[in-house]
Amino acid sequence: MKAFEYATAHSTDSARQLVADKGAYLAGGNDLLGLLKDYLVSANILVNIKSLPGLDKIEPGKNSWTIGSLVTVAQIEDDAHIKKVFPGLHEAASEVASQQIRNVATVGGNLAQHSRCWYFRHRDTVCLKKDGDLCYARNGENRYHSLFTGNSCISPVVSSLATIFASFDATAIVLRDGKETRMNMAELYHRAWENPLAHNSLTNGDLILRVEIPTSRPRSAYLQASDKHMFDWALVSCAAAAEVVDGKLKSPRVALGSISPVPHQVEAANQFLDGKVLDEATATQAADLILKDAKPLEHNAYKVPLAHALIRRTLLKLKGDA
Amino acid sequence: MPNWPAETKYISRSTARVDAPEKVTGKARYSSDIQANGWLYGMILRSKWPAAKIVSVNLDRARQISGIKAAVLARECPFNIRYYGEEIAAVAGSTKQSCLDALRAIEVQAEVRHEFVVNETEARKADSPPVWENSPNAPANPRAHENGSVDTAFPECAAVSEGFYSTPVQIHNPMETAGNTVSWTDDGLTEWSSTQGISSVRDGLAGALKLEHSKVRVITEYMGGGFGAKFGAGVEGVLAAKLSKEAKAPVRLMLTRFDQALAVGNRPSSFQKIKIGALADGTLHAFEAENYGTAGIGAGGDSGGGGGGADIPMPYIYKVPNTRVKQSAVAVNAGAARAFRAPGHPPASFGMESAMDDLAAKLGIDPLELRLKNDPNEIRQREYKLGAEKFGWKEKYHKPGSSKGVVKTGIGCAGAAWPAGGGSRDTHGDAQINPDGSIEIRLGVQDIGTGTRTVIAVVAAEILGLKPEQITVRVGDTNFPPGPGSGGSTTCPSVSPTVFDICTKALQQLQTQSGIADARGANWFAACKKLGVNPLVVRGQWQQGLSADHACGVQFAEVEVDTETGLVTVKKVLAVHDCGLIINKITLESQINGGIIMGMGYALYEERVMDDLSGVVLNPNFETYKLPGIADVPEIEIILINMPERGVIGIGEPATVPTAGAIANAVFNAIGARVGSLPITPAKILAALGKVPPFVTA
Repeated sequence: MKAFEYATAHSTDSARQLVADKGAYLAGGNDLLGLLKDYLVSANILVNIKSLPGLDKIEPGKNSWTIGSLVTVAQIEDDAHIKKVFPGLHEAASEVASQQIRNVATVGGNLAQHSRCWYFRHRDTVCLKKDGDLCYARNGENRYHSLFTGNSCISPVVSSLATIFASFDATAIVLRDGKETRMNMAELYHRAWENPLAHNSLTNGDLILRVEIPTSRPRSAYLQASDKHMFDWALVSCAAAAEVVDGKLKSPRVALGSISPVPHQVEAANQFLDGKVLDEATATQAADLILKDAKPLEHNAYKVPLAHALIRRTLLKLKGDA
Repeated sequence: MPNWPAETKYISRSTARVDAPEKVTGKARYSSDIQANGWLYGMILRSKWPAAKIVSVNLDRARQISGIKAAVLARECPFNIRYYGEEIAAVAGSTKQSCLDALRAIEVQAEVRHEFVVNETEARKADSPPVWENSPNAPANPRAHENGSVDTAFPECAAVSEGFYSTPVQIHNPMETAGNTVSWTDDGLTEWSSTQGISSVRDGLAGALKLEHSKVRVITEYMGGGFGAKFGAGVEGVLAAKLSKEAKAPVRLMLTRFDQALAVGNRPSSFQKIKIGALADGTLHAFEAENYGTAGIGAGGDSGGGGGGADIPMPYIYKVPNTRVKQSAVAVNAGAARAFRAPGHPPASFGMESAMDDLAAKLGIDPLELRLKNDPNEIRQREYKLGAEKFGWKEKYHKPGSSKGVVKTGIGCAGAAWPAGGGSRDTHGDAQINPDGSIEIRLGVQDIGTGTRTVIAVVAAEILGLKPEQITVRVGDTNFPPGPGSGGSTTCPSVSPTVFDICTKALQQLQTQSGIADARGANWFAACKKLGVNPLVVRGQWQQGLSADHACGVQFAEVEVDTETGLVTVKKVLAVHDCGLIINKITLESQINGGIIMGMGYALYEERVMDDLSGVVLNPNFETYKLPGIADVPEIEIILINMPERGVIGIGEPATVPTAGAIANAVFNAIGARVGSLPITPAKILAALGKVPPFVTA
């Protein structure tokens, strides 16, 4: 990797100042150090933010919970209260990478991680995401790639937490230009939908401070399908959350990961499910709506039936049947 | 003719690895742990192009990087690059980062060739860019072998099955990557090498560097696996030596995991078109097959144990009176193949055993019955019957696809043959018995992680009436009496008779010198004391009659297949294996466990993915080159058949042969559709079930 300076920040203001316009924030470092070692990103300074006060807490609340961006994925996984209040979040956290990685990986890092596209990650291919001229995956090896995109890059978002947060309609609070900016998951990734160079909507110096999760959806579930049983990326992931009143869904939300540059959400499907009693047929119709506009490529068409099955299973899990 | 003892205290029982404490505590020194005085890091610059002519390479800027002590060329310019990752130059420096900086500072002038081919099916086409100038990528006419008359035999068959079965290029991924530490001074050269063959590395290195064999010493104290890819001196060995000479310091050059995927071997792919027919009673009658596969840029000069080609044994373990088999290797712009644990056999087993089950389905008979009917080998017949009983085959078997529900269960089986596995007569060793009763046994072989040290201790303890922990075993040094490389499952049958010979002779001499008629066990120390001040040194050699070759083995697999997510879960593998006289049960079982887990990776996860457009290996890491993890590994039950009358036979290779075939057949049994292509991924399961919409080009 290229040489860089290193500093530890003790306040968010100083962190922002230190990182300036060519630095990077360092928390768990799982993604950043790999990117630096592979010369995929460079930073003239790494600003250690692990000592920023107050960002490592899980704070329950009546209407919403606040999860600091330095909370580790393992902390979420191990929190018995979360498991009860946001079961889908517990499930999503426990599927992230391996125990060793979960022990150091943070919520902020999980949300801000870069593309895992093997062309992007390869040191000797200069793809669109690296400001090259073409997306190699589009006509190449695209088994792990997107069914939806708003641009020429088909690299999907792989953050498990983003998927489940989207289903809760959670909000990320981002420090931008000295002010706290609120972004839901659609907004947090929107730029990746339209710009191949972007992995998310964060720009240099933006710092995720915390995530707020409304408690209005007490039922939630997360499922992912992978090639292997553990420590493997999701081929497709699915999250769903809702309130169930008199057996009927209220304000349901379904989101999918690994099939689009953003957590994939279809408003028409959420509306369709609202007020419905969940059964196999309803779940199937919702899945049809969610995947209606999928544009499979040569090697990723299997993700359509796979996503369909996961949507149905996740929804039925929400009901408490499966 | 010598004989193994009939009554044993250690042989055929379980002795924990004698070096387990060293390994567990980290005291064991692997090649990557060697810190020779003043050592430097070494690193290789690899081609970022799959095809190019390297016109010139300027190392000046690299040499100016702070900390860099040497920089050398891989070859004299100009030269041709034929695959992504081929070596161009190497540097040595005092820190890792200085080497990384230096690699980026090397100036390479290249004429990049935009025409190359990395896909074996494309490479067979007549207009495909040639990997080698003036030579087609594939022969115009494949080699053909014919027996009987296939054309008249097929119409006589009651059932005929036709299928296409393919296996991917598999990459050798031992825990320890390829590499070495080399110290080259005026006195000679010492290499601490991660190798399966200290002697072949010594000779190869001496040849490449024009040194006398006696000036080169190769040491492999501990070794983290090779699987057939680590027999030669290797480009990394020669470059480390040249760097060491120039830097006047030892150089440690271990490949990265990235490097490991490119240039140090792989198992060739196979594309097998198989037509097989049987008479009404299930007797195999006709077999026709055409197979091709790629060994990368070719059967390289460094292919070690003879696995450089892409041919596979067909129709594998079965006897068919009428056969026609055509085979050819295809060159592509990718790293050369090397021997890989049972070269040729796992792909052959997968193809043939899949075809057998497809045929059984056509005949409407139990595939185990079809095997018992047609497998000519008596040992496997015995193993199938024993295994089927333990596995509960009869109770568990159902017609393919008849399992109910979303998650379906299935079972399958497959057989193995390994023609090698015998001992090498060129195995020598000696024992030094000291007056204090301590004993050291030295052999110029290497323990590649399989438990060779323990095997030596077990045999010596048995013959001398001592405990295995009383034997100091020294291996992995060319200063010891020479021995063979560890390939072909030959190490155990090579060292066991040799140690038998050494110890038998040593005991006789000790008894003669001490005047004690039986110096074993309780009398050992008294006898040794009578040696006075001079230790007793006795030399021995491999003896005939104590070992044999040709191991068999059968495996049964039980799987669950989620027909909506495509996930295959292997619930259980039951393995029945024989390897003649069992020396040490626990390390033998460990070999079988490893073989099954590796076979499972081959069946479900592993695949080198090449990119047609850029020519790079897309998955040079464990993130996307997927290997079985502990959560994927099933319950493994091992049944061993001890056959002392046959003598010692190796097991390393046969243990991995039938796993993929057995799992693939279990998947077929579960879902009633054949996934004919390894690895069997969720994507392929869903496709086989007809759930994947057809791809329409925009």
